[in-house]
Amino acid sequence: MRGLPPPKELIDARAAYAAAQQGPAQKEKPAEVHVARQSLEQAETAFKDDPDAPRTKDLAYIAVRKAQLAEAIARASLTQKERDAALAEILSLESDAAKRAQAELASTKSALEKSKDQLEHEKEALAREKALREAAEKKAAALMADLNRIAAVKQEPRGTVITLAGGVLFRTGESTLLPAAMVQLNQVADAILKGNPDSNITVEGHTDTQGSLKDNEVLSQKRADAVREHLVAHGIAKDRIKAVGRGPSVPVASNDNSEGRANNRRVELIVEPPKK
Amino acid sequence: MTIRLLTLVLPLLLGACAATMAPPAERLATAEAAARGAKELGAEKDPKAALHLKLAQEQIDQARTLMKEEQNVRADHVLQRAHADAELSLALAKEATVNDETAKAKEKLKAVKGGK
Repeated sequence: MRGLPPPKELIDARAAYAAAQQGPAQKEKPAEVHVARQSLEQAETAFKDDPDAPRTKDLAYIAVRKAQLAEAIARASLTQKERDAALAEILSLESDAAKRAQAELASTKSALEKSKDQLEHEKEALAREKALREAAEKKAAALMADLNRIAAVKQEPRGTVITLAGGVLFRTGESTLLPAAMVQLNQVADAILKGNPDSNITVEGHTDTQGSLKDNEVLSQKRADAVREHLVAHGIAKDRIKAVGRGPSVPVASNDNSEGRANNRRVELIVEPPKK
Repeated sequence: MTIRLLTLVLPLLLGACAATMAPPAERLATAEAAARGAKELGAEKDPKAALHLKLAQEQIDQARTLMKEEQNVRADHVLQRAHADAELSLALAKEATVNDETAKAKEKLKAVKGGK
C-alpha cells in the first residue's frame, strides 16, 4: 500500500494552496487561506490513511476550491478598495466643485445686491431731483400767475419782460409815480423777489413819438430811474438793477393812432434768467 | 431475556445504519442554497463563475440520483464537492461585480478629472 503516488486531485490541491499562500490572499484574507490549509490537511490525512480511497479525491477537489475561494475573495477585496478610493476621490472632487460653484453664486448674489442698492440710490436721487424740479416749476408758474394779474409778462431771450403801461404809472409828461402805480410796482417787486432773488433787472423807459426826441429820451430815463428807485426802496438790491431811457426808439405799436401810442408809452422790467 | 435480545439486535441495527446512513437532506439543502445564491449574484454572466455553478448543479443532480439509489454516503460526499463549487462560483460572481463597479468608478473619476 505504501509508496503509491498521490492522485492528480491532491497534486492540484497542493499547487492551489501554494499559490494562495504566496499571493496577496495571505496578507489580505489570512482567515480564508487558513480554511484552505485545513481543507488541504484533511485531504493529506485521508491520503495517508488510505492512498487509494476515493474520499481523498473528494477532499482534494474541495481543497482546490477552498484555495481558489481564498484568492477570489482576496482579489475582490483589493479591487473593492480601489473602487472605494476612486469613489472617495470623485466625491471629494465633486464636493470641491460644488463649493466653488457655491462661492461663485454667493459672489454673484452679493454683486447683484450691491447693484440693486446702487439702483435704489439712483432712483432716490432721481426722485429728489424730480421733486426739486417740480417745486421750482411750480414756483415759477405761481410767479407767472402773480405777475400776469398785474402786468403783461412775456418770456423773451433776454429774460422775463414785464411791461407796465405808462398811463398807469405816470401822468402825462411827468416822471413821478402815481400812488396806484406804487401799489402795482410793490406787487411786481414782491413777485421778482419771491421768484428770482438773484437775477439782474433792467428797467427800460419807453415813450411815443409825440414831442421832441430829446425830451422823450430825458423823460424815459427819468421814468426808468423813478421805477428803479421805487424797486430799490422796496428791497431789490441796488447793484442788481439798472435804469435805461430808450425814448421812442423801440416802439411796440404804431405811433399813428392814440391806441398804438398808448402802448408805446411804457416801462419794461427785464428780469434776466438766473445765472447758473 | 429482553436484554439479551437487545444485545443481539442493537449491533445489527447500528451496523445497518452505518452502511446505509440517512439521506443527506440538510447537505443537499445547503448546496442548493449556495448554488441559488451564486445564480442570484449573476454567476451565469461571468465565465469562471458560470463554470463552477454548472459543476455544482451537475453534482447536485448526481447526488439526487445517488440518494434515490440509497447511496447516501456517496451522495453526501458529492454534495460537499457541489457546495465547494457553489461557494467558489458565488465568490467569483461577486469579484466580477466588484471589478465592473471599479472599472466604472475609475472611468467616472477620469471624466470628473478631465471635466475640470
